[in-house]
Amino acid sequence: MGYAIKTEGLIKRYKDKTAVAGLTLTVNEGELIALLGVNGAGKTTTVKMLTCLTKPSEGKAEIMGCDVTKDPDAVKRLVGISPQDTSVAENLTVKENLEFMADIYLPKEKSAKAVEKTIKAFGLGEFKDKKAKLLSGGYKRKLSIAMAIIGEPKVLFLDEPTLGLDVLARRQLWREIEALKKNMTIVLTTHYMEEAQALADRIVIMNEGKVMAIGTLEELENMTGKKGLEDVFVSIAEKME
Amino acid sequence: MRRTLVFAKRNLIEVYRDPLSWIFCIAFPIVMLIIMSIVNSAIPKEAGNTLFRIDNLAGGIAVFGQMFVMLFTAIAVAKDRNGAFLTRLYSSPMKSGNFVWGYILPMLLTAVIQVCVTLIASVVISLISGYQLSIAGLLLTIIAVIPSALMFSSIGFLFGTFFNEKAAPGICSIIISLGAMLGGIWFDVEGVGGFMYKLGKCLPFLYATKLARSAISLEFGVKEFLIPLAVVVLAAMALTVLASIVFNSRMRADQR
Repeated sequence: MGYAIKTEGLIKRYKDKTAVAGLTLTVNEGELIALLGVNGAGKTTTVKMLTCLTKPSEGKAEIMGCDVTKDPDAVKRLVGISPQDTSVAENLTVKENLEFMADIYLPKEKSAKAVEKTIKAFGLGEFKDKKAKLLSGGYKRKLSIAMAIIGEPKVLFLDEPTLGLDVLARRQLWREIEALKKNMTIVLTTHYMEEAQALADRIVIMNEGKVMAIGTLEELENMTGKKGLEDVFVSIAEKME
Repeated sequence: MRRTLVFAKRNLIEVYRDPLSWIFCIAFPIVMLIIMSIVNSAIPKEAGNTLFRIDNLAGGIAVFGQMFVMLFTAIAVAKDRNGAFLTRLYSSPMKSGNFVWGYILPMLLTAVIQVCVTLIASVVISLISGYQLSIAGLLLTIIAVIPSALMFSSIGFLFGTFFNEKAAPGICSIIISLGAMLGGIWFDVEGVGGFMYKLGKCLPFLYATKLARSAISLEFGVKEFLIPLAVVVLAAMALTVLASIVFNSRMRADQR
């Protein structure tokens, strides 16, 4: 199994702030990795660099062997993103939103089939003719993720996918993400401990743009001598202070 | 090309599902046409004012309506830029040309439909008022106003790229007022003369109105038709190129 994502010393600097400070990371194909950290830890900036939404200031990043700086067009064909803010076309129906994304990524002959398949996989059949603006927060997120995967990406980026959702909607979305794990590499950013613990194969704990720890939950527990991700996180955070 | 059409379709649906688009792009020009025709019927013939006669009015309002297309283009672009929807699309294989034409094409179509509706309403009014409009002139007008439709769509695209969702409509309202005044839609700028006419001659709005009116009347003189056509075509081309460059640089700046 090869690497889906490989970064070496990835840095992103804004005028007077370093958002990501030398990220070195490898993510295996088919793995789900969670970037965990408080607000401003550099999670979203990392996702933006890996999806060609912002250029790294220094360092190197590859998606399935394609360099994000040198070959962004190839990278864009390989990735799908569900941004932090709900990013759906509000006046289009669920089906039209999916058709739109499918038509952007897929050849015409595959598009209609992909739409039907995605509607079924995400249980959106009941709402397919409903305008996106009329959906609940949970279903909007579901649609946003469905739009990200309809182009059959090799690597899927989910930026805070359950932010602001109630517990039922969150659990439902977790099930959808679990189901996706088999088919693609997933990078998920979150600041919910239980989310990272429930879904991720490996967890990257970030703070102030730096990777503080990386590993499976078991490895992190062994590293800190604590039980459960919350205690692991607190232990690492306290050490930083 | 396929991605441009896919994006254009999305924008067309977004515009057509917004009731305000129907009110401002279709209903408002027709209401203005009716009101000004009533005003025209109240003007005594001895006054010699032909500005609101249906042949002049139809051309002026066809151009006036396009200014609202500019407003809706600006709102559509600013709204998308403000939200995360464009973020998603920036990470897709779409190129800047797909975005530019994806926004402009549906607005061009809207503008053409709007002109057709305005001209059909003008025919009805002309039949009531007893003034005959030439069918050839009306058909020519639909084609002649395409450059100004492109020009206004590009101005809207430019403002939507520069300004946010709150500022863009305000700026467009200023252009609508300015364009209507200096374009000679509601009064004879040439007759007023002075600074106003000089300023009007420096901007493309007056030429757009002149072109539409000349097309309806089938006047093909150099001053009436050819110069206005050349000015509007050049302005449309320059503004489209400028809007593309600005959007491209904004897109790159967003990704810095």
